[in-house]
Amino acid sequence: MLGNLINIAVRNIRKNQGYSILNITGLALGITSACLIFLWVENETNFDSSIPDQERVFYVPINQKYKGEWQTFHASPGPLAAALKKEIPEVNKAGRLVNANLLFKVGDNIINSNGHYADTDIFEIFGLSFIEGNAKTAFENLNSIVITEETAEKLFGTVEGIVGKSIFVNNSPPLQISGVIEDSPANVTYKFSWLCPFQHYSKENSWTQTYDNNFVDTFVKLIPGADRIAVDNKVRDILPLLTQDNKQEAFLHSSKDWHLRSKFQNGVIVGGAIEFVQLFSLIAIIILLIACINFMNLATARSEKKANEVGVRKALGSSKKILIAQFLTESMMTASMAAGVAVLLLYLLLPYFNNLVERDLTIGFNEPAHLIFLIGITLVCGIFAGLYPAFYLSSFKPLDIFKRINKPGGSAVSLRKGLIVTQFIFSIVFIISTLIVFLQIQHIKSRDLGFNKENVVQIPVNGNIIKNYNSIEEDMFALGLVQNVSMNSSEIFSSGSNGSGLSWQGGIETEDVLIRYRWITSNFIETLGMEIVEGRNFSNNSRNDSLNIIITQSFAKLMGPGSAVGRIVTADKNYTVIGVVKDYVYGDIYGPSQPVMFLSGLDEASFLYVRLKPGIPQGMVLGSLQKVLKRHNPAFPFEYTFVDRVFQTKFKREILISKLSQIFALIAILISCLGLFGLSAFTAEQRKKEIGIRKTLGSSVLNIWRLLFQEFLFLILIAIIIAVPIAYLLLSQWLQGFAYRIDMNFWVFIIAGAIAILIALLTISFHAVKAAKNNPSNNLRTE
Amino acid sequence: MIKITDLEKYYSTEEVRTIALNGLSFKVKEGEFVAVMGPSGCGKSTLLNILGLLDEPDGGSFLFNGIEVAGFNERKRSNLRKHNIGFVFQSFNLIDELTVFENVELPLIYTGVKSADRKERVNEVLERMQIMHRRKHFPQQLSGGQQQRVAIARAVINRPKLILADEPTGNLDSSNGNEVMELLTELNDAGTTIVMVTHSEHDAKYSHRIIRMLDGQKVTENVLADFKGI
Ligand SMILES: Nc1ncnc2c1ncn2[C@@H]1O[C@H](COP(=O)(O)OP(=O)(O)O)[C@@H](O)[C@H]1O
Ligand SMILES: [Mg+2]
Repeated sequence: MLGNLINIAVRNIRKNQGYSILNITGLALGITSACLIFLWVENETNFDSSIPDQERVFYVPINQKYKGEWQTFHASPGPLAAALKKEIPEVNKAGRLVNANLLFKVGDNIINSNGHYADTDIFEIFGLSFIEGNAKTAFENLNSIVITEETAEKLFGTVEGIVGKSIFVNNSPPLQISGVIEDSPANVTYKFSWLCPFQHYSKENSWTQTYDNNFVDTFVKLIPGADRIAVDNKVRDILPLLTQDNKQEAFLHSSKDWHLRSKFQNGVIVGGAIEFVQLFSLIAIIILLIACINFMNLATARSEKKANEVGVRKALGSSKKILIAQFLTESMMTASMAAGVAVLLLYLLLPYFNNLVERDLTIGFNEPAHLIFLIGITLVCGIFAGLYPAFYLSSFKPLDIFKRINKPGGSAVSLRKGLIVTQFIFSIVFIISTLIVFLQIQHIKSRDLGFNKENVVQIPVNGNIIKNYNSIEEDMFALGLVQNVSMNSSEIFSSGSNGSGLSWQGGIETEDVLIRYRWITSNFIETLGMEIVEGRNFSNNSRNDSLNIIITQSFAKLMGPGSAVGRIVTADKNYTVIGVVKDYVYGDIYGPSQPVMFLSGLDEASFLYVRLKPGIPQGMVLGSLQKVLKRHNPAFPFEYTFVDRVFQTKFKREILISKLSQIFALIAILISCLGLFGLSAFTAEQRKKEIGIRKTLGSSVLNIWRLLFQEFLFLILIAIIIAVPIAYLLLSQWLQGFAYRIDMNFWVFIIAGAIAILIALLTISFHAVKAAKNNPSNNLRTE
Repeated sequence: MIKITDLEKYYSTEEVRTIALNGLSFKVKEGEFVAVMGPSGCGKSTLLNILGLLDEPDGGSFLFNGIEVAGFNERKRSNLRKHNIGFVFQSFNLIDELTVFENVELPLIYTGVKSADRKERVNEVLERMQIMHRRKHFPQQLSGGQQQRVAIARAVINRPKLILADEPTGNLDSSNGNEVMELLTELNDAGTTIVMVTHSEHDAKYSHRIIRMLDGQKVTENVLADFKGI
């Protein structure tokens, strides 16, 4: 029985090769897209799942109240971890991490490595597994270090026999390797390359012992069976209790939420990357739906040609069940073939997709989840696509067909039209989204940042750079290739340090206002091309300006009416405002500029900014800069980036969305067009006789083409009418997330509609023109 | 009006090459009523398609009103066709989705007649064909005889000089068939040239002349009535 069904299905698929190819291609594209998205979603949702007992591991962020609103910070005071462990019995482990950059030297091998100072509990909280050594004894000695296999390979070229060996560190005593741990998996939030005892760090920095400074990452692991909510409440009570300050609280952030739900608003989770996971899952479903619709449409359209055959079969006693089984077999076979093609496409496209999403996704047919997904999606597509045609066709009544009382197809024709409209609604929404996302990115790219981001090199400050700054500056100017050199305590785009509790003349309730502050050298404002709107810049001798500050316009605004220059801002000391600069964009590049104050000084510098003279090849300048730095800071390798490149990384996510939406919009449209292509062929075929008659009576090719196109044009117009408000709502919501955004432009909708119509027009025209050009005598030979 | 000389037409399918017309020659004068007879497959329909400019010959000459049309492109043929030639088919070839009125109106749309004129002319023809009361019906709701009357109405609506009829009574019973033949005779009396393919000796008797074909060639010609011309 099944053999027979499959036989007939194969024969049908072969006989209608054209339609089968359209169906299989469409479905294969759909399944491929869905699988790629699945792999990505799987990777996203499995983030940090390598942490043992993941449900018991938490990060401890801090909420602070400003102007009646909680703001969440990823830094906590040094003593918090120990206090949590001591005060809350359910906290089984508690540990801290502090990020640090160290310059390691082994033999001639010098590497600059980013790693962590950590508490011993960190090993257990993150489940780091030792290849050599163990967690208990690793940190017994303050000068010990635990490194990963990768770091070991980099330093020693081997993983074996290195425990006990020394690593030399710039400006401090050598560290002794006490253990080697496995490398961190790719999809974890916290990656390790080396760990040193936290005390090694805190013994030199006494301020780490107080509750005044938030600078560490605190992690806890609860005892099995702990009531998370109860523990969270206890954690929230602890800071007010220990510091008598009820404007801040610590709380628990589950490791399951680190990656996907890490956006906080007023102290509670409001989302995060999970939105993209949901968005792309939805897109996968829509693309599959569009592909299934093709099968349904082409199958019912084709089946009407076979209505007679079905009538005869039924008259001969074939049961409804067999007919349904026949159809389902055919759709399942089609879906299976599509799945086969999809697997090939997957292997072909995965490297490109990985490149795009910057992941290392792999397909594993030994992984049950992947196999189940593929089989599941094939089954669902096969059944979903085949069910409707199966029931539709098997419900034909033989007598009706023979007598042609009800022309077969009435209900199917309207459903078919509805389904085409559905496909095009999705496609048009995709087109509009693609356009809007693209425009928004162009918009932010061309935002006036308040400074000139082009042609500025950014170099991290390390080693002797601060000590030798004057000579460095001098030597760089001597090159004749640079326009300006300066330093800043923050990266130009980062939010940097902030403080509150300041007061100033003309300000009201100033204690609650968060003010960002940076220490700069006098050339900084000129180097970045910022504009002084009032007052003056710092003088070249920073000592003269140690009690002077320059503020941004938004800060000046907080001082009320009148000139801000000359006013006093009170922080640890009284500072005098000597200048006001135009607001500039940093932190949230879409957001408004928050107030900033610049202090004069280079001791805190963390980045060197060099503006190059225009029109000189960058390669040449960089080589010269490197020589200068090698001379004055020989221990450290030369590292640099360009400010405009840093800017590009700020909307990486938006660019990724833009690229993905372009790709999936293209696929959706392509699949819709495959269906439209098939249906237009079918319509042309079905109306062959009518076309013949019309041509006999003198109709022109254009007339016939219009006749065939009109039918579809109407459907696409309906799709546009429905799609536009949907897209409008969705995208205005998306744009709400950006303070600096484009306005919804009406012509975007017009262009999207025009694109849809044009694509449909081209698709349909192929068959319409073919049909119209046919000699009428060929079409009429139906007797 | 029509002069064909050594007309040839082939059909090539994958395996075989069929010779549908093999050096056929004859003339039809203006106002004449000619019947074409012959066994099935001898090339009658093919001949009619070429005469009706629905298809091109592969060889020979076809003078229509003294103009060589054998090499005409589709646009020229279409133009000539819609102003000069009307068709009546065995299977009526009405468009199922259009009403009787709309079917008859169609040729007028393609020749660019204005809407008001169209209405008047269609009503006039429907009146003449005695199917005015059915003008809002769809083809499937009519009997075969009625459908063929609609088809004839549509064929004459543009007042063509030539009507080509391919077995017009083939799907009709004898009384309906006779009615159709009466209508064609009336049109011919009014001056329309008619070339009709038929299997029926009875129908052929309505014509002035019978051309008998076999295997794409003319075998004999019988003159039935004195055609005096107009
Ligand atoms: N489109 C076509 N393709 C192939 N063969 C054709 C085609 N049209 C007609 N023929 C062949 O040409 C010959 C003449 O056909 P036709 O003119 O229809 O004959 P008749 O109308 O006299 O029955 C037949 O053998 C027929 O099979
Ligand atoms: Mg014939």
